[in-house]
This record gives sequence, C-alpha cells and structure tokens, in this order.
Amino acid sequence: MNENNPVPPQIPSAEAAQRLAEKITTPPPTPPLSGPRPLGDDPAERVAIPHAFAAIEALLRHPRRLMFQLRQPGAGKLIGGMLFVALVCAAVYGVVAGTFTGGQQLWMAPVKIAAGLFISAAICLPSLYIFTCLSGSQARLAEVCGLLAGLLMLMTILLVGFAPVAWIFSQSTDTLAWMGFLHLVFWFVATLFGVRFMKSGFSHTNAKSHAGLNVWIIIFLLVALQMTTALRPIIGKADTFFPTEKKFFVGHWLDCMKVHDNNEWKTEKRD
Amino acid sequence: MHAQSEKLEPREFSALLRGETETFAAWSGHWNTRRLASRLAIIVIGAGLYGAAMGWWRAPQQGVYVAAKFPLIILLTTLGNALINGMLAPLLGLNIPFRQSFSAIVMSHAITAAILGAFSPLIGFVIWNAPAMTTGMAGASTYSLILLIHVAVIALAGIAGNLRLFQLLATISGSRLAASRVLFAWLAGNLFLGSQLSWILRPFIGSPDLPVQFYREGALHGNFYEAVFHALQRILTLN
Repeated sequence: MNENNPVPPQIPSAEAAQRLAEKITTPPPTPPLSGPRPLGDDPAERVAIPHAFAAIEALLRHPRRLMFQLRQPGAGKLIGGMLFVALVCAAVYGVVAGTFTGGQQLWMAPVKIAAGLFISAAICLPSLYIFTCLSGSQARLAEVCGLLAGLLMLMTILLVGFAPVAWIFSQSTDTLAWMGFLHLVFWFVATLFGVRFMKSGFSHTNAKSHAGLNVWIIIFLLVALQMTTALRPIIGKADTFFPTEKKFFVGHWLDCMKVHDNNEWKTEKRD
Repeated sequence: MHAQSEKLEPREFSALLRGETETFAAWSGHWNTRRLASRLAIIVIGAGLYGAAMGWWRAPQQGVYVAAKFPLIILLTTLGNALINGMLAPLLGLNIPFRQSFSAIVMSHAITAAILGAFSPLIGFVIWNAPAMTTGMAGASTYSLILLIHVAVIALAGIAGNLRLFQLLATISGSRLAASRVLFAWLAGNLFLGSQLSWILRPFIGSPDLPVQFYREGALHGNFYEAVFHALQRILTLN
C-alpha cells in the first residue's frame, strides 16, 4: 500500500499459494536447443539427387541436401554413385601423380592411390560405426557409409581440382621428396574439407559428443598415411609393384629426406 | 539490367578501375564471351606492355620475350587454378557458379594488368634513363633500384586488383568474412602456382652475364620453393 494505491494487497488463497509454489519449483520449459537446423526443413533439400554429377554439385554447393538424401530409404544407389565418382577422381589424380616418373607409374599410381584410399576407408569403417554409436549418435550404418562416401568423394574431387597444379610441378621438379611433400599437402587440404563435411553430417545425428569422431579422424589420417608407405612407391620408380621392405611412414619419410639431402649437395646447380 | 549487362561498352574499362561493385556483380553473374575476351585483351596488352618495358633494359629481344611471358604467367595461373578456385568458393561460404568465380578472377587480373600497362611508359622512361646493364658495383646499385621499382609497381597493381576482387566478393556474398576466406584461399593458390610459373619462365629483367633467352636451360629441373629452401639453407650454413 502506498499513496498512489490505497487498496491493501490481498492475501493469496491456499490454492493460489500452491500454484505459485509449483511455478517457482517447476523449471521453466526448456527452449529448443540451439543445435543445427534440422535437415530437410528447406524444400530444396528434399529434391532427390538423380545422378553422380548432381551429387558432386550437391556436395560442393548444398551439402545439407546430400546429407538429407543419405538418410532416406534407398540411399544405397546414391552411395554407390558417390563411391564411383571417388574412384574415378582418385584414378585421375593418380595418373597426374604418375606423370612425375612416367612409364609404368602411369597405371601403377592411379591403381595404388585409388586402392589405398578405398582400403583405408574399408579398414576404418567398423571403428567409425562403433565410435558413432558410442557417442550416442542415432545414425544407421547406411548413413555412416554415406558420410564416409561423402568424405572420399569430396577429398578426391578437390584432388582433381589440384591436379593441374600438381601436373605443372611434376613436369618441372626433379626431387622425389619435394613432390611427395606437395602431394601430401594437397591430400591434407582435401582431407580437411572432407572431414568438415563428415563432422557436419554427424552433427545431425543427435550425437552427444564429437570426441569419438575426432579420435576416428586421427586414426583415419594415420591409416591413410601408412597406406602411402605400404603401397610405395606411388610417385617414384620400383622394380616390384609392392615394396619388399616393411616400414612405418615416419621412417620412410626420414629415409627419403636423407637420400634427398645427399643427392642435393652432390648435384647442386646454380643459375 | 540483364540487357544492359550484356552490352559491351567502352566505359566498362573505367568502371572496372573505379570498382563499381554493383556493376561488377551484375557482370560476373552473366557469362558474356565478348566481355571475357575484352578482359583477356586487357591482360595481354597491359601485362605485355609492362613486360616489354621490364625486359628492354637487358636487350630489345628480351623485351619481346618478357612481353609474351608476363601475360602468359597470369593466364596460365588463372587457368591452372580455375578448377580448385571454383570448388573452394562454395566450400568456404560463397555459393557462386564456377563461371562466376572464373569471371571474378579474370576481372581482378584485368585490373592488375591495366595498372601495370599504365605504369609501363614510366618504367620505360626509367629504363631509358638508366645506365646500360653492366656487372660491378655501379651496375649492381642500378639493378637494385630498378628491381625495387618493379616490386613497388607490381605490389601496387596486385593490391589494387585484389582489393577490387574483395569488394566484389563481399557484394556477391553479403558477408565480409566469407569474402575474406575465399580471397585468402584464392590468393594462396594463385601465389603458389604463379611463383612456380615465374620460376619456369625466368629470366625477366635478365642478367648481363647470361645470354638473352626465352627461358633458361634447365627451367624444368627444380622449382621455386626448393630454390628458396636451398638459399635459406646456405645462409644458415654460412652463419
């Protein structure tokens, strides 16, 4: 009660007091989580992807459309198309990588790059599925396969984008170690974008944590790097298709650097 | 607006330099072969004139060679990176078609080449006043001065071209962050390939001790980055 309001405040009834108590103790309704926008809320994302070229277009420009389509029944055909594109693109990049040495490497390099990529993916697929389940994700195996196919397709498409640059360096560089480093840089950049697509896809699967996926990404990188050593040489010369000596990739790189340094100091040219 | 953008007008050249981003955005949105040809002509003429002035100091023949090489480097860099640049743009937040990204890059190179072409008479004047290219201390100081002038002019032209490109990308995307990301990725790729192409097609200014050549023997043996690495290695070994 004050000067402006002469009416005394009313004492609330027992029922009203109980309602007030409930209001205080009951937590307010939870607002919707500020997570990613649900897939398919844009009608454009619901448009089916009819062929592989449309899948490339969708992956680069409308990745959400691809993610949505991967969740639909009958996504197997789309996944098959994506894997086919990845295979062709890996082979194209392999031919460009093979031009450094020429000769037999023109067919060996594409075979090794494409096979290495697909074997790495196949080796890592079970652990990917386990990690996604452990993180609470609701993704089905088909969806996990689809996201992995998306990773491979984006990686290899970007590698084809880098191919003209790689070709120019292949034709103008003599040093094997340097070319190997350049291919690794291109592969790493391409993988970064591929992994980004995959993480974006997993953010729509109700996963509670991304820790498992992050661990899997490290595993995939290590497997792929080891595959470059297990299938060596991919850009150099060799008498046999497979290497005769087993090595880990770090040891192989160190050996390559030693050979490069020795040759370089012997044959250094000045202009 | 569409009909206007299809028509090729002489004032487009000045609009290009003024950086009328709305006009740029309209141009880049529609593929026009004549417009693309005019941009390519600007690159060939502008960079060619600058190259001629650059090589003239060593010998007139060197001037002719560099007049051909300078535009060639720009065009090969644009073509070599076209595919990856077109792919990176949507991945980095700028959802434009391949031909629009290609058109935008050609436009920025045309601006750079136009500025270089405008500076070519000035460079020619400097070269005309410079003592003949010789070995020794006096020759070295003149060489350094001319080299610095080239660096300043090329840097100015490059910065202007990329500034206009950034403005165009920001207008198209409506986001300065996305425009910065795309520009940075394109710049990195173009610098990476452009440096190697320049290395392959050296010499440009030339050297009094070495013959006038279109490209050095062994141009396709080694690369720019190895050379930088070995130069650093030598410096560190000497120290």
